[in-house]
Amino acid sequence: MDDKRGRFEAEVLPHLNAAYRFARWLAHSPGDADDLVQEAILRAFRGFDALRGSDVKAWLLAIVRNCHSTALKQQQRRAFVPLPEEHDAQDGYAMVATTPDPESVSIHRDEERTLERLMSALPEEHREVLVLREIEDMDYREIATVTNIPIGTVMSRLARARAALKARWLKEAEGERRGVR
Amino acid sequence: MGCAESLRVQAYFDGEIDAVSAADIERHTEHCAECRALLQDLEQTRTAIRRDLTPGRAPPELRARIMRALDQETAVKTPRPNEWGRSTWRTRPFWVGALGGIGSAAVAATLAFVLLSPARTNPVLDDLVAAHLRSLMPSHLIDVVSADQHTVKPWFAGHTDVSPVVADFAQQGFRLIGGRADYLDHQRSAVVVYQHGPHVINVFSWAASQRASPKNTTRNGYHMAFWKAGDLEYCAVSDTGWDELLGLVRLLRDLSARDARQ
Repeated sequence: MDDKRGRFEAEVLPHLNAAYRFARWLAHSPGDADDLVQEAILRAFRGFDALRGSDVKAWLLAIVRNCHSTALKQQQRRAFVPLPEEHDAQDGYAMVATTPDPESVSIHRDEERTLERLMSALPEEHREVLVLREIEDMDYREIATVTNIPIGTVMSRLARARAALKARWLKEAEGERRGVR
Repeated sequence: MGCAESLRVQAYFDGEIDAVSAADIERHTEHCAECRALLQDLEQTRTAIRRDLTPGRAPPELRARIMRALDQETAVKTPRPNEWGRSTWRTRPFWVGALGGIGSAAVAATLAFVLLSPARTNPVLDDLVAAHLRSLMPSHLIDVVSADQHTVKPWFAGHTDVSPVVADFAQQGFRLIGGRADYLDHQRSAVVVYQHGPHVINVFSWAASQRASPKNTTRNGYHMAFWKAGDLEYCAVSDTGWDELLGLVRLLRDLSARDARQ
């Protein structure tokens, strides 16, 4: 038992920060993210014996994602409707908070917050592939493992996610220009 | 994004293609303004994300909380029933639906079978037959639909406690159609689903316990073949003939043996 604990701490816990970052992008509040990570780590520990030589980080993040969707399903009993694969580049603008704080002093800090807000407003399917690719620096195969979708879908989803983020960024910039005048 | 090469351009940007294809793409972008613009966009997005979204770290309090939870977990040797309750939730709504529908006959049959069984019954046998019957009812046969072992196998890692051998034996008449997580013998077992002609074969796997594997048997017309490979216990259940079932068992045992040698 102690041996298992030792191996677990050596192999899995180095990815705790990645699990936490990913959870923060999935969960609605920091508190939810904490619970999510704890639940995932416990599940990972219970399933640790079955893990053989595969990518530990992708394995752990897949568990985080799985715990998240289980919690979500329990929270909202209504059926989960997956996003359509097409025509979703322009959806969801309504979710973006409309007016950026006009009194922001630092432009950089403002951009930081804008980007964070735009990312948060992306549909979850888009947000997760972007986070895994750009922040966690995972390759397509690892992303496919975490999100449980084929590599081809990873590629198309990533392309749509990037296009959607850019479109929102442009729209935001345009809105600000109009707002100034 | 109109250019047909846009996904390959993205793969090039992400470092996912070999040198030959990369040269291809570089030639292509010389002529295609759209793909050149795409490359620029990709670069801008990446730079912005990596510059502005500073990677967070797990707070020390959370780390401490997790270590305490792990301490508790290690202290308790046997899983508490309510810990496992979580994974059984998934099948609840299904049971509710099944009792109202065409599944009720099969459920009744299983229940009658369980109730009428002599006391010497190994509980795992009942679980197995029940799980097999459950899988034949609408919409619980497969959680991950794929004929690709590289899709099914990693899926188990996030959803079950074990990692069984998985392969498509379409050549030999056993088509891999997917996988499923099922609750069995107090753990989340992995189920690999094969199709043989009109028959479905469920191959269950779970961490082997100290007790000896049950002997091959037939229950309610379903044949059950058991074997052990490594630290996993397997059981193939189906209404197909014994010869066919044992044929698949042989293929899987060979595969485990090959895996073990590697």
